[in-house]
Amino acid sequence: MAVIEVQNINKSFGDTQAVRDVSFEIPKGRIFGLLGPNGAGKTTAIRIINHILIADSGTVTINGMKVSSETQSMIGYMPEERGLYKKMKVGEQLIYLAQLKGLSHAEAKEKTHYWLDRFEATDWYHKEIGELSKGMSQKIQFIATIAHNPDIYIFDEPFSGLDPINSEMLKEIVIELRDKGNTILFSTHRMEQVEQMCDEICLFNKGRAVLKGNLRNIKQKFGKNTINIEFEGDASFLDKLEDVRINNRSTNFAEIRVLNGQHMQDILKTAMDHAEIYKFERVEPSLTEIFISTVGEDNINPNELG
Amino acid sequence: MSLHQILLVLKREYMTRIRSKAFILATILIPVGMIAFIGIVIGISVWDSDTDRTIGIVDQTEVLYPRLTEISPERYEDFSKIPQDSLRALVQEQEVDGYVILNEDHITGNANPEFVSGGSGGLGLQQTIKSDLREVIRNERLARANVSDDVQKIYESQITLEMRKLTKEGKETDSDTGFMTVVGLAMGFIIFGSISGYGGLITRSVIEEKTNRIIEVIASSVKPIELLLGKMGGIGALALTQLTIWITTLIGLGMAAGPVAQMFMTPDMKENLANADQAAQASPALDPEIFSIPPIDASLIIYFIIFFLLGYLIYSAIFAALGSAVDSEADTQQYMFPIMVPIFIGYFIMFRAMENPDGMLSIVGSLIPFCTPIVMITRIAITDVPFWQIGLSILLMIGTFIGTMWLSAKIYSVGILSYGKSANWKELMKWIKE
Repeated sequence: MAVIEVQNINKSFGDTQAVRDVSFEIPKGRIFGLLGPNGAGKTTAIRIINHILIADSGTVTINGMKVSSETQSMIGYMPEERGLYKKMKVGEQLIYLAQLKGLSHAEAKEKTHYWLDRFEATDWYHKEIGELSKGMSQKIQFIATIAHNPDIYIFDEPFSGLDPINSEMLKEIVIELRDKGNTILFSTHRMEQVEQMCDEICLFNKGRAVLKGNLRNIKQKFGKNTINIEFEGDASFLDKLEDVRINNRSTNFAEIRVLNGQHMQDILKTAMDHAEIYKFERVEPSLTEIFISTVGEDNINPNELG
Repeated sequence: MSLHQILLVLKREYMTRIRSKAFILATILIPVGMIAFIGIVIGISVWDSDTDRTIGIVDQTEVLYPRLTEISPERYEDFSKIPQDSLRALVQEQEVDGYVILNEDHITGNANPEFVSGGSGGLGLQQTIKSDLREVIRNERLARANVSDDVQKIYESQITLEMRKLTKEGKETDSDTGFMTVVGLAMGFIIFGSISGYGGLITRSVIEEKTNRIIEVIASSVKPIELLLGKMGGIGALALTQLTIWITTLIGLGMAAGPVAQMFMTPDMKENLANADQAAQASPALDPEIFSIPPIDASLIIYFIIFFLLGYLIYSAIFAALGSAVDSEADTQQYMFPIMVPIFIGYFIMFRAMENPDGMLSIVGSLIPFCTPIVMITRIAITDVPFWQIGLSILLMIGTFIGTMWLSAKIYSVGILSYGKSANWKELMKWIKE
């Protein structure tokens, strides 16, 4: 049974329709990625699942229950806009937030101590958040999200604003949580992060879910129609290629999506005439490429894709 | 709605604030500041009366000047020997504040004396000179008319009004209107100050959660209405705590003043142990009651708490909505004005109610829910307000609170999640309709 089941939800704010007829299911024990450019409606969908916003129509169920105040405490939610009370002590704050999620004071205190110890932050208990560095308060934010030990975790753009150390730590935590049988939903507009972590994805564009399913299956369906090429020398030959789309271009690297079944050998020949080739590899398309070919080049703002 | 969640929010709001330096400082400094302010006002008036004015008197009657020096030996100076030109020069050089030439006509005829001054002194001085001159001329006329002692006594008699108050129980007591007016004004002023002060605190508290971006974490655990009620409750409890501290301190000081005064007396008395008994008897003579506060009706205190709470609730709901609608404290200005207008109207009607508590303006003002808490408590303290008016005003306030709470909940639940810019009036209307 799906842990989170979203059926035909719609949500408008005035004239703008943020979410249009979106449905998806998240199976238990999986990492589910909600992908799409900024403003695609990901955060609105997540807020509806968290019962912060109410959908205009459609239903969302968590573990078989319609979203409500009760389902809120089954979820650990880290919003994109993160923050804590600056003038409150770390310990008190974590206990308060865990209590709001339904823990008793004693349980909340125990969990707070457990996680602070685990993150080697025991001494911070009596410090005010305002005294902590940014990286330190990010750790406290994680603890606040997970301390009440829910079985569903939702992270909205979790990597934005994280320093590399905390970014790596979050990845480890997410995978560890999944391995323990928990379900994780996270959203991002940075596709490459998802490729390494997600089991299932749902692509959002302009409020609609345009593509969803198992990441492996989706990639296989698109086939090995992409070339990763590494070279040194004159890169101008890339511009002369026809019927291709070039992603992730840099001075000595390009990801070339081959359209119209053109022979890849021809591309290799052209490349060899102009530059020294270090690597030429036929691969499955990247998620960015999948996203572009799904929604069409004209329908997206490429600046918003990572 | 879950009471458990509301209480958690309430407890946090209360506990984090009551331990804050700001609260402790305000609790101590506001009364100290008020006492200092009163002290300064008294100080100024004392210091001010010290600036003596010198009025030259050219007394051609030779009887009026001595009478003037009887009334005020320092103010008037005999300038009879100085020629008028020099007098003018003295005024122009500001050596004297002015002069008056008095002659027989002023006593026998109906001519009015003239006060020539350099323009200094103001209305107060003119009033004083007028009444002084009126008195001496009248007395001189009476003396010359050879009226009987009886008639003179009539003129000398000072009529004052003794204030007595007949209670409902039929007991006649000394009227305490003067004292109760002060109490009523103080209560109205406290409600006025608390509504604006604690209302501002609620606004800041809501904005803080928005700018800290913790609001979404909280919103994923608590309903907006629970958060709103918890916040209003927590800060309301804080306001009550502060009031309780102030009132008990005041009553405590009032009760302690008598015994403390006695304590200071005792060392003197101890010098003669043999007289100890007498001392014990003597000390009640120094009535400790002088130092203590006259009794205030328990019902007045209960009304004070009721009006304070209802006023706080009506306005705190509005102030919370305001906080949720804006993105930073600087943006509160455009909304703050319309909220403060009724509070200030109430504040001004309060002063009218002090003079004429049963006048039309006072009655109407005390029945307009946005002004009621400030005006009604002043009226209740000063006069006997008919019970139907009190009851009606309370019902109207409860109704108004339900209204502001409903509006506020609508605005608040949308406002707390909209970051980036402050809402304008049009958007607010849209949120309410949603």
